[in-house]
Amino acid sequence: MAVIFVIPLVWMFVVSFKPEGVSAITMAEWTDFSDLTIRNYAKVLVESQILRWTWNSFVIGAVTTLITVIISSLGAFAFSRKNFKSKGFLFILCVSGLLIPTEAMLIPLYETVLSMDLLDNMWGIILPSLTNPLGLILIKQFMDGLPKDYMEAAQIDGGRDFRLWWSIYMPLTRSAMIAIGIFYFIMSWNNFIWPYIAINSEENMVLSTGLPTFLSNNVLHVNTIMAASAIAAIPTMIVYIFLQKHIVQGVSMTGVKG
Amino acid sequence: MKAQQAASGWKRQLKNEFSAIAFLAPFLIPLLVFYIWPLLRGAYISLHSWTILGMEKYVGFDNYIKILTNSDFYKYLWNSLYFVILVVPIIISLGLLLALLIHRKIPFQTMFRSVYFLPYVLSVSVISFIWLRMFDSKHGLVNVILEALGLSSVHWLTNPKAAWWSIVIATVWWTVGFVMVLFLAGLQEISQELYEAADIDGASSLHKFRFITLPGLSSVMKVQIFFQIIAGLKLFGQVQIMTNGGPGDTTNTIIRYIYVTGFKKDMFGLAAAQSTLFCIFMLLIAAVQYMVVNRKES
Repeated sequence: MAVIFVIPLVWMFVVSFKPEGVSAITMAEWTDFSDLTIRNYAKVLVESQILRWTWNSFVIGAVTTLITVIISSLGAFAFSRKNFKSKGFLFILCVSGLLIPTEAMLIPLYETVLSMDLLDNMWGIILPSLTNPLGLILIKQFMDGLPKDYMEAAQIDGGRDFRLWWSIYMPLTRSAMIAIGIFYFIMSWNNFIWPYIAINSEENMVLSTGLPTFLSNNVLHVNTIMAASAIAAIPTMIVYIFLQKHIVQGVSMTGVKG
Repeated sequence: MKAQQAASGWKRQLKNEFSAIAFLAPFLIPLLVFYIWPLLRGAYISLHSWTILGMEKYVGFDNYIKILTNSDFYKYLWNSLYFVILVVPIIISLGLLLALLIHRKIPFQTMFRSVYFLPYVLSVSVISFIWLRMFDSKHGLVNVILEALGLSSVHWLTNPKAAWWSIVIATVWWTVGFVMVLFLAGLQEISQELYEAADIDGASSLHKFRFITLPGLSSVMKVQIFFQIIAGLKLFGQVQIMTNGGPGDTTNTIIRYIYVTGFKKDMFGLAAAQSTLFCIFMLLIAAVQYMVVNRKES
């Protein structure tokens, strides 16, 4: 079973190193290492803006993740540690995003972003994806699990709410925030439909929306397209191999308790 | 004195309310601007004849009548539902199976987990490119393997029935590891003592699975079925890249239909009405699921 899972990836890499027109299909082709070439990679790097797209994806992912985690933590603090009248209503408002995804409201979102003059702009991608309810719920659950004594002790010291959050609650939920952050980063990196619509100039595209432009380019061979896919796949695969434990932990947290 | 106290209590409460909302503001503001406002705005646009440039003319419920009396909307909504019906049972059961296989203390446990999860970190474009080529009728690996096994090759992306399976297979390969990881986490939370007690009672492994494992995983299962249904209804990237909705319009989904109506045909008002109807449909699905889950519990 595991072998079946790996085959598509191995195939992608093998084909990407074969000369144009040669697919790795027969056993002889799989094991023939004499004709391997890096020309496909060179072609993609020279003829497309793939490095630029990778950079855009990275920046958007990093900024989105950082802001989302912080605003979710602030919100979680209010819901977990404060009592206020509109709490119930605001909580339902905040988690309502789980029910209707962005994909279902492309048209009005486009109108909104257009009216703010943020189309074809990095911020047009970042801003609509900031309020992810999952992170808020999870960090809140983590904070709920912390003893109330911290709150009381700090209040006796005359600590204000913001300092409480900054110096006690945020550090104590750090592991949850890292795990959720990694999860957000993957989500942002894989985000497709919204950047596909909101970005139209090639230099502002992200990796996931830049790749399909290869399909309309009839000159490119399978081998070149596989090289492009490999270039797009390598960064996340490397990150995954190094941060495996955190990523798996983050995913488990977001899915089990969400 | 009492009035003064009441006043200061009221003041304190107001202050408390403000400070809580101050903490929530950074989350609430983008939520209002990029979620709540577009929802309302969408309802407004849907009552107009509207283009990308915003040329508007009030038309009342014309757009809705047009959609509801035309079979296309139902057809593509059904396509999305059909995908959900195909993919969700496979993803949930295969994810569970993989989790059960790996959960036993087998050698290379971590390695297997990594392998199954790995595709999930790739973007939809990469997985679509890979499978687009894997399913190529002449040079694709899938048909080569089928032929090597003595089976006949299939025109995966141009045969209407096979096209859906191409999308399903690519999607399962991409996301099943994610579901598996969640089931693994769920399995780890089931108390080992339950199994030991069952062993003493001489329960069969099927019994243990039915009465300990499945109930232990029920909360993960519910959450996952919910999220996988929503994810299935959102299907867009794979069809956009792999089949372009084809052959014909077999794999055209509701999201792609809205996308084409709005951005390709420039009928923004109509597309906004389609969006609004789809949002209502999503809410209905959520409500039905909520009721089903709650009835089972009571």
